[in-house]
Amino acid sequence: MLRLSEVQESFRIALASLRANLMRSILTTAGVVVGVVLVVLMGWTISGLDAVWEQTISIIGKDMIYLDKWNWAGGGNWRQLEARKDITFEQALALANRMESAEETIPLIRKWGGSVSVGNTSLRCAIMGTTSSYNNTSAGTTMEGRFFSDIEEREAEKVVVIGFNIKKSLFPGQSPIDKSIKIAGVPYRIVGVIEKRGFLFMDFIDNQVFIPIYAFRSSFGFFDRSFSIGIKAGSERMLNIVRDEAVGHMRSIRNVPPTAEDDFSINEMKAFDEQAKSIRLGIWIVGIGLTLLAFIVGSIGIMNIMYVSVTERTKEIGIRKAIGARRSSILTQFLIESALLCLAGALIAFPIAQTIVGSAQYIAVNVLEQDWATVISPFVPLGLLGIAIGVSIIVGLLAGIFPAIKASGLDPVEALRSE
Amino acid sequence: MAQNIIEIANLVKRYEMGNEEVFALRDVTLRLGKNEYVAIMGPSGSGKSTLMNMLGCLDTPTSGTYMFNGENVSEMNDNDLASIRNREIGFVFQTFNLLPRASALQNVELPLVYAGLNSQQRGLRAIEALTKVGLADRMDHRPNELSGGQRQRVAIARALVTAPSIILADEPTGNLDTKTGQDIMQLFGDIWRGGNTVILVTHEEEVARHAHRIIRLRDGLIESDELNTNATAV
Repeated sequence: MLRLSEVQESFRIALASLRANLMRSILTTAGVVVGVVLVVLMGWTISGLDAVWEQTISIIGKDMIYLDKWNWAGGGNWRQLEARKDITFEQALALANRMESAEETIPLIRKWGGSVSVGNTSLRCAIMGTTSSYNNTSAGTTMEGRFFSDIEEREAEKVVVIGFNIKKSLFPGQSPIDKSIKIAGVPYRIVGVIEKRGFLFMDFIDNQVFIPIYAFRSSFGFFDRSFSIGIKAGSERMLNIVRDEAVGHMRSIRNVPPTAEDDFSINEMKAFDEQAKSIRLGIWIVGIGLTLLAFIVGSIGIMNIMYVSVTERTKEIGIRKAIGARRSSILTQFLIESALLCLAGALIAFPIAQTIVGSAQYIAVNVLEQDWATVISPFVPLGLLGIAIGVSIIVGLLAGIFPAIKASGLDPVEALRSE
Repeated sequence: MAQNIIEIANLVKRYEMGNEEVFALRDVTLRLGKNEYVAIMGPSGSGKSTLMNMLGCLDTPTSGTYMFNGENVSEMNDNDLASIRNREIGFVFQTFNLLPRASALQNVELPLVYAGLNSQQRGLRAIEALTKVGLADRMDHRPNELSGGQRQRVAIARALVTAPSIILADEPTGNLDTKTGQDIMQLFGDIWRGGNTVILVTHEEEVARHAHRIIRLRDGLIESDELNTNATAV
């Protein structure tokens, strides 16, 4: 059994030995430092990505289904999708009439590559035509002003609700409400601003404007455009029922033969979840790979220096054994030294990782002005600190085990004789 | 006759050097009593170092028995040997063998660390031992800040601190000048007079003459075992 006094002595020797070979110790821990920095960066990246993703998903709406000609997640054969017939306004209205389980069924028409202008400044953006009920989805939440009304929709009034990025670019630091903005040369009155929704690669979502669907028809026409139909299930629990109903109605509206596949796609945020998962997994695999590599290289370095340490201190081991140190005492002494060496690496790594994380977040937010980065923490999560310390101690123990066994097994007579 | 601390019977130590067998000890039988002051002498190759390693429980014999205070050392495992070295034997080496990075006090405390004493008890006993060897004022010095004689005194304090059954000194004056060597021998005399059992291993007649019994080895056998009636008084 190991005695407390021996463990204390082991810590004292280990610290003294690390201090005596300070530069050597620091250099030796380089591999462990890199490993710990990688673990922390990986953890921070994933938690940041999750935060950004959660933000985006929650704003778009987890309870939404988008029935579209296109598959948003990019699945399926592009030529097949291209060959599908457009979804017409009539079909969208028919579906809206038939849907019973959904809270809202909203036709959406989109002109990509449109532009809006104020004075001489113009901005490329997507122009969306929709109904006033879009206001009832989380995607239609306004941060300023209001969404256009039922009457404005039916009367095809020239009113517009602009996306966050449009406001930021064309009306920096002022309220755009009741200001005039030209869409395809026609002046529209701004009635509201949609709150920020997209983050990271979903940023384009904030680059659009919403106008009443009939105003869209008079400005751009419906010809050669395919409608997208936003269906609000109301809750995630309802998604399956609503999806089944929508698919059933749409197949009948579009006369899809019973044996044929759907000639339209169902798009849900869940599909993006899958993408997010694969990105996450990618980061994990790359991160774990790099980390493992760093720790393997690091532990070889530690093992090497521990062997050197055992050789240098053969005499000391002999003396200790002569005056009563048992195998376990010597074993513990070297294991503790090796673990402390790795722990020192972890402690060196933390300020480095924190500096990287803090500056990356600062640069993203303040220099590159990436709004999405604001939801990411500029601090290393404390849980990661624990994991990294734990991992580095384990690496230290593993790297130290063979040198420690060698030290503890030395013959005291031989060891005393060495110089 | 005083009670025997050490009883060795037909001790043999054989090494294999390649294909050759070398007998360091051929057949040694020996008894040492409590509070004896013994010198073990012999030229190099006589087996005296091997015998010292055996007596000090650093090594185990090939055959024969070694009883220490009634315990059979020849059948002990590593842990038992470490424990008996810790409790029963105080080593003093020719080259002092102090830990260079530890203070005198820490060096003297070391055997008590392995005995499991807490730091307060260790400190008290180590200070007591250092005082006994006249180094109370040098406790915080490291070995490289001490003279040769002072280092050997620290080593002796370390040997005494566990109150062992025997003090085993291997050429304790070999690295010291004559005057300092005499001082150290005087210290051994004091230790013996204090009731301890002292075993000196040496090839110097002058050192051996301090002992009351001189055992001479040659070629792994005891050549002579005589009482020294006119021991050098110091």
